[in-house]
Amino acid sequence: MSLTTALNIAQSALLATSRQTSVVSQNVAGARDPDHTRRIAVVSSTGPGARVVQIQRATNELLFRQNLVAGSSHAAQSALLNGMERLGIAVNGADNATAPAAALAELQKALDIYAANPSNRNLAEVAIDAARHVARTLNAGTGSIQSFRAETDADIATSVGELNDLLARFEDVNRAIISGTRAGRDVSQALDQRDGLLKNISELVPISTFTRGDNDMVIMAGNGSTLFETVPRKVAFEPLAGYSAGATGNAVYVDGVPLAGGSGGNTNASGKLAGLVQLRDSVASTMQSQLDEVARGMIAAFAETDPSAVMPDRPGLFTWPGAPGMPAAGALVDGLAGVIRLNAAFDSSVGGNPEFLRDGGANGAAYISNTSNAASYSDLLMKYGDRLDQPIAFDLAAQNGSSASVLTYASNSIGWFEGVRQDASRAMEAKEALAMRTQEALSNATGVNVDTEMTLLLDLENAYEASARILKAVDEMLVALLAAVR
Amino acid sequence: MKTTFVSTVGSSQSLRYQLARMQSELVSANKEAQTFRVADRGLAFGARTSQSVTMWRDLDRLEHIQSQNGLVASRLTSTQNSLKQLEERAQAFLSTLTAGIGGDATAGVTRGDAKATLDTLTSILNTSVNGEYIFAGINTDVKPIGDYTAAGSPAKAAFDAAFAGFFGFPQSDPAAAGITAGQMDTFLTTVVEPQFLGAGWQANWSDASDEQITSRVALNETLKTSVTGNIDGIRKLAMAATTIYDMMSAPDMSPAAKATMLDRAYKMVSESIAELTQAQSELGVVQQQVTKATDRMAVQAGVLESAIGKMEGVDPYEASTRVTALVDQIELSYSLTARLQKLSLMKFL
Repeated sequence: MSLTTALNIAQSALLATSRQTSVVSQNVAGARDPDHTRRIAVVSSTGPGARVVQIQRATNELLFRQNLVAGSSHAAQSALLNGMERLGIAVNGADNATAPAAALAELQKALDIYAANPSNRNLAEVAIDAARHVARTLNAGTGSIQSFRAETDADIATSVGELNDLLARFEDVNRAIISGTRAGRDVSQALDQRDGLLKNISELVPISTFTRGDNDMVIMAGNGSTLFETVPRKVAFEPLAGYSAGATGNAVYVDGVPLAGGSGGNTNASGKLAGLVQLRDSVASTMQSQLDEVARGMIAAFAETDPSAVMPDRPGLFTWPGAPGMPAAGALVDGLAGVIRLNAAFDSSVGGNPEFLRDGGANGAAYISNTSNAASYSDLLMKYGDRLDQPIAFDLAAQNGSSASVLTYASNSIGWFEGVRQDASRAMEAKEALAMRTQEALSNATGVNVDTEMTLLLDLENAYEASARILKAVDEMLVALLAAVR
Repeated sequence: MKTTFVSTVGSSQSLRYQLARMQSELVSANKEAQTFRVADRGLAFGARTSQSVTMWRDLDRLEHIQSQNGLVASRLTSTQNSLKQLEERAQAFLSTLTAGIGGDATAGVTRGDAKATLDTLTSILNTSVNGEYIFAGINTDVKPIGDYTAAGSPAKAAFDAAFAGFFGFPQSDPAAAGITAGQMDTFLTTVVEPQFLGAGWQANWSDASDEQITSRVALNETLKTSVTGNIDGIRKLAMAATTIYDMMSAPDMSPAAKATMLDRAYKMVSESIAELTQAQSELGVVQQQVTKATDRMAVQAGVLESAIGKMEGVDPYEASTRVTALVDQIELSYSLTARLQKLSLMKFL
């Protein structure tokens, strides 16, 4: 042992302490960054006084994966629920005054009033106006749903762009990590960045990862296709310019494999993209089908029948482009709700006669029920009122039962929607809580506590002071020695 | 050594998340405490929301049909009153006829009473309620019956033509003195009766429709809620009053023919009274049905209301305690956040 050795040891101790201090300062700087993983400076002694500081990241692979999965399903659920809230406000919510069910109820009421005073032409106008409102609600509902689908489609396109962008950035970071690892540099910063990118990617698509040599990472998408392997794979999507009922949107392709949308209110989808696809192709489409079925039910309920049963039934108060034919019973007609119209023959604002509603005959003399042209003839009005309450066959494809009266069908449609929304909302609570919990657990396992870092800093300060004291003592001793020799 | 570790981000994030949740809960709890109903029907009932929507619709419709029934009831009451007046008039006419048959009343008195009956009949059949002729059947926009005594009356013209066609001379002709009781009886049976009780009634007299007004008095119940001017009771009264009024004027009409006329008129009016009474009691049944239907709907509406209340209602006490608890919790959370944020080693270094 010599004084020089002591000096060397003190020097290396100073060096080690300053490196540790830099790690602490990095941790403090990253304390508010959720992607920052705490670094631990591990000091090990190799020889007499020689110290190596190794920097470890406090990773927790399991928690990290769980966090990705939870975040992914939370993102899908939240995309679904948000979309449904918007659809409920625009089209068919329970408290929505513009829902077709509300308009239908108004029409039934107007018919009741008119049937009680069939001689009053004003009441005929009121009933026609209620019918106009029904047609308008169905048309507007279709418009809202289709523009909602187009917006969702645009949202998917934006998210796909985002995903491709994230993958490109991932490539850069991944490359930096590989080369840094090979060169033995501290790549903690880059690893943090890569974890952050993974979190962002998993919010868009569900992913699983594995790490190869040199810290190289491969990402697989939930559908089994490769999302990233050395280079990012192409995520392709062609948005449609506009939507019509019955049109199916394009799929999102990850490396050529289509990404499936989820199903159910408590959706099995993971990632925002799958949630959006489900909204566009499942929820909104089904809602549209139900509107179409309501429209068909209305055309059927108000069809004019020949009292002598010779001529076929013809569209009456409500008509469609296929008139004078009737829409086939029990079969869904895509987009019917968008094209259903108040029959111009009834509409006094375009020269029609609202009293066709009482008398029949909009389709010609053969369809007149009130042959004596009596002012208080109410049989036909009663018949329409009854038909609204009589069960008819509906297409099961609309997922709202196969037999109901058109009024019940319209309110069941609200029930269907709210049922899905309720599921979605409950699932959202659970998934949000899970995402928050895993986030919290991960953060506790890998994050930084400023107070801990500060106490560490105090330790380091002491160690630094001690080493400096040794330097000073050795220096004094050397000075004393040299003075004695002189 | 590994102690329980809490990251700085974690502690502040979890507080923030809890706070946001409590605040959104507070909004809906507050709404529930104020409205006494669930804040969001869709989220509360899910697929059962359709029940709530249907119940509201049925309730609305029930209330609405009840108010419509008010109109129906007022029409029925007017009809009932009119029938009663008509019956009373017929009774008076019957007394006059009795007097006429017994020879206690002159032809002029009998004829005057026939005129009065005809006038009453015309004015009652032409009664209108809310702009609708209540005795017109479903043909409510047309006056059911014209004035027989007015100039150019088609009914009078038809009667005159029928008389002239049968006897070969008009009523005022002196040849009327030669009409025998048998001839008069044949005339009344074969010519006058078809004019009133047969197809001639609607051709010359009445514009009313045979079809009665149908009204929806309950959700699934319709009733015939009017009496038309074409019922036999009215036709018979009209026939009796017209023949007496028209032919008693003939100065030279033989007493035998007059006696036949009076006899026939007596028979017709008696039958008419019976039928009018019958019509009144039938109408009474309908009135009662309407009242019952309205009462039933009121009960049904009450049931629906309470069902809606049970389904959608929240306990206001519970809701307001929830509001209070949430407010307390949020306040606690605020102060905790503030204290935790102050809690830092930095202050002591």
